[in-house]
Formats: sequence, structure tokens, C-alpha cells
Amino acid sequence: MKTIFHVDMDAFFVSVEELLDPSLKGKPVVVGGRPDQRGVVSAASYAVRKFGVHSAMPLRTAYKLCPQAVFLDGHPHRYREYSDQAYAVLQRFSPRVEMASIDEAYLDMTGTGRLHGPPLAAAHKLHEAVKRETGLNCSIGIGASRLIAKVASDAAKPNGVLFVLPGAEARWLAPLEVRKIPGIGKVTEKRLHDLGIRRVGDLARLDEAFLDAQFGLWGRAMAGKARGEDAGSWFDGAIGEEEAPKSISHEHTYDQDTADRERLYSTLARLCQMVGRRLREHGLFTRTVQLKLRYQDFGTITRAHTLAHATRLDTDLHRAARALFDANWSGMPVRLLGVQASSFEARQGQMSLLDQEQEERWTKALSAADQVRDRFGESAVSLARGLKGGFRERVHENPAGLPGKGPRKK
Amino acid sequence: MEFTVNKSDLVRELSLSQGVVEKKTTIPILSNVLLEAADDRISLTATDLELGIRCSCPAKVKKEGSGTVPARKLLDYVRLLPEGELTMKFLENHWANITCGRSRTRIAGMSRESFPELPAMPETIAELPVKALASMISRTGFAISLEESRFTLNGALLVLRPQGMTMVATDGHRLAYVDAAPGEAAGIERSFRALIPKKAMAEISKLSDDAGPEGKAIFGGDDNHLFFQIGHRLLITRKLTGNFPDYERVLPKDHNLVATLQRDEIRSAIERVAQFADERSRAIRVQFTAGEVRIFASSVEMGESEENVPSQYEGPDLEIGFNAQYLLDFLRAIQNDQVAFELKDQKSAGELKPAGDGVVGEYRYVVMPMRI
Repeated sequence: MKTIFHVDMDAFFVSVEELLDPSLKGKPVVVGGRPDQRGVVSAASYAVRKFGVHSAMPLRTAYKLCPQAVFLDGHPHRYREYSDQAYAVLQRFSPRVEMASIDEAYLDMTGTGRLHGPPLAAAHKLHEAVKRETGLNCSIGIGASRLIAKVASDAAKPNGVLFVLPGAEARWLAPLEVRKIPGIGKVTEKRLHDLGIRRVGDLARLDEAFLDAQFGLWGRAMAGKARGEDAGSWFDGAIGEEEAPKSISHEHTYDQDTADRERLYSTLARLCQMVGRRLREHGLFTRTVQLKLRYQDFGTITRAHTLAHATRLDTDLHRAARALFDANWSGMPVRLLGVQASSFEARQGQMSLLDQEQEERWTKALSAADQVRDRFGESAVSLARGLKGGFRERVHENPAGLPGKGPRKK
Repeated sequence: MEFTVNKSDLVRELSLSQGVVEKKTTIPILSNVLLEAADDRISLTATDLELGIRCSCPAKVKKEGSGTVPARKLLDYVRLLPEGELTMKFLENHWANITCGRSRTRIAGMSRESFPELPAMPETIAELPVKALASMISRTGFAISLEESRFTLNGALLVLRPQGMTMVATDGHRLAYVDAAPGEAAGIERSFRALIPKKAMAEISKLSDDAGPEGKAIFGGDDNHLFFQIGHRLLITRKLTGNFPDYERVLPKDHNLVATLQRDEIRSAIERVAQFADERSRAIRVQFTAGEVRIFASSVEMGESEENVPSQYEGPDLEIGFNAQYLLDFLRAIQNDQVAFELKDQKSAGELKPAGDGVVGEYRYVVMPMRI
């Protein structure tokens, strides 16, 4: 029987902003950007949530719901600092910590009873330590699976601890709405509602064969989840042993659609740089570069190119992405650009005849740049091409360099 | 326009245009061949705007003129006609009547006005021996990059100098360098450099098939194009622009280790072993030890394979990773019985050369290793 903690910081970005500017306390605060900008709410304070504002909502909608709210761009670099501090605390409680995103973590607390006491006592100690050392509130869910821990921390919010006793999972989950199960989003929820399934209990009572017929493998995974098991997708892995990603991508939506070629190139460079950084973080080389291009009318194309040899250099990614762009851009104003890398290999393999020295120099330079970014933030170093007309770093829940993700930090 | 032509003449010349006409084009006229009749000859022109070819054959011209019809459809149809003569007559609406024996066909054409104008042949730069040119193409063409984003590598560099002719191609991972044998370049007087696109090289090879051993290509060039006149056929290609890499810098100067191998032995050994190489990377390990070379490949899914090939080699033990395909490309391109594999270390380029008797001119193939 495992003991898993899910530690989730309460309104993380907003709480950090409040620490930096106490006058914000208790006010409706939205982090993510200005109300007239494109983009979505990254975090909403509890005060603004009363107006119906929630994260992932377009900023403009949030403004309509609560025009008096304080809208902040946010300080990604500071969030990283606080996240690192919290991580440092968590690490004292278990060697197996995985930051699932910048403001939440899973801890495998199995077998730590003699050191930290029974689960509730350990959670209390952890809760106090985080508050003391970061000044921030968090909520902790405890369960025998990641899924239970995650759902429990959500139920414990704000600033609470909830322990779902082993054996009581299904009973505890039964009255909850299906949407509470991680992985069940708007679309699946709608389909379940159409089938008359509203509560997790309804889901648990269903025949697995029926779910299989309706949803395929995902149906079986849902059945397992309804019983409180870690079933399907990333819930499978042990904590701290994240599987290698299948693809890495970054996108940018312009505040105003643009047909300025230089600006578009520059965004591409920036995106390639971000993808390159993640590749290096995971120790991977990519064979396939994909470009995503969305126009004003939301018409979207994706075009992929397979490289002759695997790479993880920003410059190689950029060359491929730019060639795809040149071959496919209609000249119409662009709303969104995206770059994705996939088909990963663990080794570079073929060495270059013409550019070997240059590649080695780039490899060294980029690894130095990565270290600078680790310390001073993502925008500390950039390719010259990416600087020009580059974009402000958005508040990102899942930034590069999270502890427990990828081999770099180990 | 109206003319009568021998079917096999028309099929032969029309076939040569097939490599040039665009198969999937957004400009319909580029799928067509331009036919022009005058002075007891018809000429056939095809282009994809990058590459153009103009051929001709004798015909009985009843009425001079010109017109265009779909190249592929015309060839497919004419090929099926019985041997003998056929008559083509173009109509006011740009369609053409084809009559041959008891067959009567009307093929949909388009106005010649929309057919692009090909540039005229400028002054001659040199007369190149066709067979030597084709042989250089077949010994370098495989090293051309297919990576479109590296456009300066999408062709081969042709270097002419008095009594000398060199061709170089590289994809950034390996490089093939061929120098013509001394006698072959005897007629060349001027110096000239240009990048020939891969597609044009393939067409030159095809045109060389009909040339005799002494056949010459009249070679010319303007700012944007290269011209190869081979017999009564003219190939025009747009030059590749950009700077070809400084290949002399990567031609190794200081190999100290040499393994001499029988070409057939090493080639078949690599062909067999490479069946068990990783399909994407094609990586094989080549171990050089005194008296033999051992080839080894393994993949998690398929298993492993190894083979020993006797070799004259006296250096220290050395294991280097290579892309099997790269080595095979060269081993399949040479005629000589022996091959010399020159090495330095695991991280430096290896070089393959034909060896033994009968080596004329210079043929060097430089391959970068793989990290294994």
C-alpha cells in the first residue's frame, strides 16, 4: 500500500503577487495579462473567483465578469523562485518528489512513518514547513494513489489537509461530479452527461465492457479512476520516474495578428529556442520538426519535416522550421505560430563533416545558456534572431527545468 | 501546324521530356510539351521552370507552326501505336488530331502563348566529354543532400580549369570528390565554377546514354542558367545559388592508418550485416584489427549480425561507427576490385578510395563517423 501526497499551492501566482505587494490581499486579482490582451487567465484570486473568473478563461471574458479586478502580467521568474523554495521543503520529506507543474507536486511518502509519523501528522508538519519557509498556503491530499491524492487536495482547498483512508476511496469518490476526475474534461464530461452519468459513483457502477465500447481504452482507464486507481496515461508511472516525452512543443499567440515576416521569423527562432532547451533538458535529439500556423480566420495548418539526422540545436530546429514556414505561409496575417519536435533519439548518431566544430561550439554555448537560464530566468539569454520582436514570457504552469522532470537535475 | 513523324522517333524524344515535366504542378501548361514544326524537323520542349529540355527529330512538315499538348498523355498514347508514321494536325482551338493507320484521336492542347520562354544558349564555355561527365555524376550524385533547407547542397559543384574538371557533392555528413582523368579534360581551356541541381544531373546522365565514347557536351552558362547541348538535345537548368562549402578544408590531409580491402567482400559483408542495423540510423560498427576488418550491427528488435573480412591493415585496434548506407553508396559506385579505407580515429572523418591497378583520375569519398 502506497502513501502518496499531492501538495498543491493555493492560488499560487496570486499568492506570490500578494507577498510582493500586500495591498493586493483580499482583492480580486487576475494574473495572465492585461484585459485587452489575447491570452488566458493563468491564475485567479479567491476574491475574483466569486465573479466566475477561473484559470484558462480568456482575459477579455474575465474583464467582462469582473472589470474592477487587478490584472497583472505576472512575474514568471519569481514564481520559479518560490516554486524552487517549496521544492526544497518537499525534498526534506521524501526523496521521491515530482513537480507535476510549477505549483503542485506528488510525494511518495511510503515507508516514511518512522521519520515523519502517520500520514496526517506528516502532512501537518509539511504544511507548516511550507508556510514558514515560503509564506505561502498549500493544500495537501493524501491517498493510496496519485489520483486519490490529487482529488483530495482539490477537496481540501483552501489551506487544508485531507486524508482518504485506504479502502474508502470508492465510497468517497462516489458523490463527486465526474469532472473532478483528472483527465475528464469538458468533452468527456459532456459525453458522460449524455449517457446519464453525472457522479463518479455512476461511473463506477458501469460495466467495463460498456465503457470500453463507448470510449475504448480511455473508457477502461476511467473505470479504474472511478474506483480510485491510477489508471491510464501519466498516472501509471512511479513518482520521480517520468516517462520520456513523445513530443515537445511551444506555441505563441500574437496580441495582434501579424504578417511581418521578420517578426514571424523572430518568433520562430524564439519557439525553436524553447523547444531546444527542453530537448537538452530531457537529453533527447529530435528527427522531426513540425510547424503550426494559424491564420486570422482560425484556419490552421501543420507541416512536418523529417531531418536527415537527429539534432537538439536551436539553430538546426530554426532552419527546418523556417524552411517549413517559407514553403507554407500564404502571406496572410498569422494569429498563432507553433513549433513541435518529435521522433526522439537518445544519441546524435551521425557526426557532421562540414559543421562538426561549429556544432560542438553551439552545443557548448547552448549548454552554458541553459545554465544561465536556470539561474536568471528563461529570457536571460536568447539567439539574436529571437530577441528582435520576441515576446514576453508568459506565465507558464509547466516551465522548463522543473525538478523531478527529466534527467538533467539528477 | 501539321507534320508527319516516325512513331519511334517521337517516342524516343518524348521520353526524354518526361523527367522534366512536372507531375504535380499548379501551373497546368508545365504538364505540356511544346511542339514546333519547321524546316523538316519538329522540336519538343518541356520545362518545370527550373529545368528545361529541347529535343528534336526529323519530320515531314506540311504546315509550320507550334502548339502544346499534355506530355504524359501524348507519350502514353503514341507508345501504343503501331510502328510507322503518324500525323499530327493542330486545330484552331489548340487541340490536335493524331492519325495513324486506323487510329484517330483528338488530344486537348493549350495555347503556346502561355508556355514559358526558355533562355537562349549563350557563348560556349567548354566542350565536355559526355561519358566522363556522366561517370562523374554517377560517382557523386548519391552524396547530394535531400534536405531542402540546405539548398546549396541540393546539387554538385562543377569546377573547370585548363585541362581539369572536378565534381564535388556533399550532404554535410559525407563528401564525394572526383577529378577527371588527365586525358578526359584535355579540351578544357577556361576556368569556371557552378552548382548543378540534382535533377539536372539525372537528366544529363540520361542524355549521355545515346552519346558515343567521343561524344561532347557543349557547355555554356549565363548569370542564372547552365546549358548542356548534347547532340541535337539541349538541357537548360537554373543554377543553384549560394556558396558551396569549402570542400578542400574537409578533404583529410593526414591519414596514417590504411585498411585495403576487396571491394566485393566488404560490400557484401556490409549489405548482410546492415540488415540488423537500426533502421533509422543505419549504424554499424567497423572494427579494424591486424589482418582483418570486422563489421557488427545490432538492434533491440531484430537481433545482431557480424562478419569478418580479411584486410591489409597494420594499425592499432580501432572501432568506428558508420552509417552503412553511406559506405555502400560508395562501394556500389566504383568498378575497381580493391578499396582503400583510410582512417585517423573514432571522431575524425574516414576516407574511401578505389585502390589497386587501373585507378585513373582521383576519386575520394570522405565519411564522418557516427557516435556509437
